[in-house]
Amino acid sequence: MKKYYSILGILVVVLALTNPLRLQAAEVSLLNVSYDPTRELYQDFNAAFAKYWKAKTGDSVSVKASHGGSGKQARAVIDGLDADVVTLALAYDVDALYDKAKLIPQNWQKRLPSNSAPYTSTIVFLVRKGNPKHIKDWDDVAKPGVAVITPNPKTSGGARWNYLAAWGYALKKNGNDENKAKDFVAKLYKNVPVLDSGARGATTTFVERGIGDVLLAWENEAFLALKEDPGKFEIVVPSLSILAEPPVAVVDKVVDKHKTRAVAEAYLNYLYSEEGQEIAAKNFYRPRLESVAKKYEKQFPKVSLITIDEVFGGWQKAQKTHFADGGVFDQIYAK
Amino acid sequence: MTFRKKIVASLLVGSGVLAVSSPVLANDSEELEKLRALVQELDQKIRVLDRKNELAAEEAAAKKKETPVVKASEKGFGLQSADGQHEIRLRGLLQADGRGFATGRNQTQKAAAGASTAGYLDNTEDANSTALLRRVRPTIEGTVFGKYDFRFTPEYGDGKSQVIDAYLDARFAPWFKLRAGKYKPFVGLERLQSGADIKFIERSYVSSILPNRDVGASIYGDVLDGRLSYAVGIHNGVADGGDNTTASDFNKDKDYAARLFTVPFKDSDSALAGLGFGIAATYGNVDGTTKDTVNGSSTELTSGYKTEGQQTFFRYVDGSVLRSGIGEGATLTGGPGVSWLAHADGKRTRIAPQAYYYYGPFGLLAEYTRVSQEVAVGQSSHAKTTLNHDAWEIAASYLLTGEDASFKGVKPKRNFDLDNGGWGAWEIVGRYSELNLDDDSFAFGNLSGGAGVTANQSTGAVGAGTLQTLNHYLYADPKASAKSAHTWTAGINWYVNPEVKISLNYAQTAFDGGGALTSSPTHTFKDLVVRSNARDREDERVLLARFQIAF
Repeated sequence: MKKYYSILGILVVVLALTNPLRLQAAEVSLLNVSYDPTRELYQDFNAAFAKYWKAKTGDSVSVKASHGGSGKQARAVIDGLDADVVTLALAYDVDALYDKAKLIPQNWQKRLPSNSAPYTSTIVFLVRKGNPKHIKDWDDVAKPGVAVITPNPKTSGGARWNYLAAWGYALKKNGNDENKAKDFVAKLYKNVPVLDSGARGATTTFVERGIGDVLLAWENEAFLALKEDPGKFEIVVPSLSILAEPPVAVVDKVVDKHKTRAVAEAYLNYLYSEEGQEIAAKNFYRPRLESVAKKYEKQFPKVSLITIDEVFGGWQKAQKTHFADGGVFDQIYAK
Repeated sequence: MTFRKKIVASLLVGSGVLAVSSPVLANDSEELEKLRALVQELDQKIRVLDRKNELAAEEAAAKKKETPVVKASEKGFGLQSADGQHEIRLRGLLQADGRGFATGRNQTQKAAAGASTAGYLDNTEDANSTALLRRVRPTIEGTVFGKYDFRFTPEYGDGKSQVIDAYLDARFAPWFKLRAGKYKPFVGLERLQSGADIKFIERSYVSSILPNRDVGASIYGDVLDGRLSYAVGIHNGVADGGDNTTASDFNKDKDYAARLFTVPFKDSDSALAGLGFGIAATYGNVDGTTKDTVNGSSTELTSGYKTEGQQTFFRYVDGSVLRSGIGEGATLTGGPGVSWLAHADGKRTRIAPQAYYYYGPFGLLAEYTRVSQEVAVGQSSHAKTTLNHDAWEIAASYLLTGEDASFKGVKPKRNFDLDNGGWGAWEIVGRYSELNLDDDSFAFGNLSGGAGVTANQSTGAVGAGTLQTLNHYLYADPKASAKSAHTWTAGINWYVNPEVKISLNYAQTAFDGGGALTSSPTHTFKDLVVRSNARDREDERVLLARFQIAF
């Protein structure tokens, strides 16, 4: 028996020393679970990162992306979708990864600069060429006879930003009167003929299916529509909108299981690099890096922005008040 | 979308008609604007409806991907996860049988001492015609993570209440699978055929000398695109036709099983596409001493070989047989440690060449098995020898209604349905099967020299006196057991639908080399009557019927 173990030991040592795999570059695969309108952004970014990572480490990295309504995507990860990183529409959905499944630490937002939001965006209006309904601001959107396209805030992160931007506008206009804000938003949602589950679906409804007079859209999504269908649409910037900070996070339990922590962290850090910020700006996301922001200054209209913390007391409170079952949205949006 | 276009077109045409027929309206731009607005409004409404339908369809498709699937069909009942990776199936097998004996004996029921129950045969009674539940097997089986199967089957039929199958299967690759638990060892062809799919109401003698169920593990798989299957296994070991318990083994040595089976022309257009043949073997070693010490009631030998009518016609000697041999009703009390049992004691090998052939509605199955078993008698393993028994069968089937025959069940082209005219599938079957036991099974000798027997041969005194020699049949008594059995079986199967089958078999069995005795005693000792005139057991003629549901 001793002889057997000796031979086995020698074999293990020899294999360990001569293992041909050790001499080869590794091939790593990452899954980025993201929200709806980031398809184009991450298509460009993933290619750039793979190139960067190959040059830096010699390893090949293949990043797969999954897109959908931000809330739905978060639930999928909680239910077992093996995301190495998440790049979702709002912090509440990332918080859920801690609250519901402890996949990440509670302080996840402090691990990266700018509250783990490497780029920002806001909400604008996309109207048809010539703006036939003369939509200039939120009041016009809530007028009778205007068909408004916005996704379902229960499933879409972008929709929640839309809703809160409208609410913030109404609050400001009505001296912080919550009831008047509620009435205003209720009127707005009376104008919504169809609720998509995600922002990209809402864009499809407005752009491809030709439904509605105005699309409440991510700024980047609106610019993309202009780019892809030139001459058909116009962007209207409201007098007040909301600062949307889509956050990113490494999913600790998954990267530890996949042994992909190093590459996953590098992937998210690269979003903050000059090249990462350039790619974000080119895809119409507002960059954080000052040098890049200055370079693309003219691309983004100036708009007065409220924040989720100052108007709504943070995402947890906003979610509970407005989007939880039985919340304000359920009260005003009768099917 | 078409509907929308039609409406829009109708409205546009309508507005055009109005424009042509009424110059006043045509010139009225305000009216035109109203019509245009109306058309646009309707167009939007239709677009919204279309989009809602589209979203509803998308939502339904998404939900379908997540919703577990409830299955209820001719293939059974069950639940499956949306991704198909996890599944649980509820299956069942119920066989309600009837047996009617024209002639035949029931060896398991003895007449009272001195009684004569059927003319010249006075140690057996007529076989009883009876109704019974032959198999009652609810089964839970399923799959977890796509490749790990499980099966749990209790048996409540035939007076039993036991676990008959309980195993796990890991399908790592088609060529590499692992099964562990209690299951049918990969040996006999007919035995491996499901109890619901066998062509006859009872299996042949071949299956009676091969393992039925055993506890252990097997590695198995299919190679060459499924044309060659292999299996190797290690098990606790089980007697001929035996169904092992789920308890631990009392024999330190294990049984090994191996099987190779090929279907060389599988999936070809050849007439030989349905040809399969192979060979299987088992090897084991039974430690008789350990057995006797730990579990004196088990012999690791068959409890009896049975006829088609399930009547025992051969069994090894045990205490009760010896008593009957010396005299009905006698009390033979053994001294301390005395054992009267014939038992397995040493090597046991089985070899089983096997083949089937299916072509259109025709099916043929042939199998031969030879078992070599070292046996001994008594606690000290007297009279150790090797007994060689063999059995074979050839069975043919033909589907009168034209369905394709196969090793698995028959699926009728048209289920039986009086309303729509279907008659199910009808099949005729015929089989010849033999079991031949080693001549040495009936060797005559004495049981003295070991722990001894406290029976005084000269006086017949029992339980006292000096240790004496007792001459007797060592392993089997020809007055109680036949040396061979030959059975013709003919039958018809009616597959009402894939789940319900009704079968009728007629089986005629002839015996050679004993199995019965005359009524005339040859000599007596005091109150003990000793009989030795063995004669062939009476032929068995039995009609078997079965109503079966299997899902």
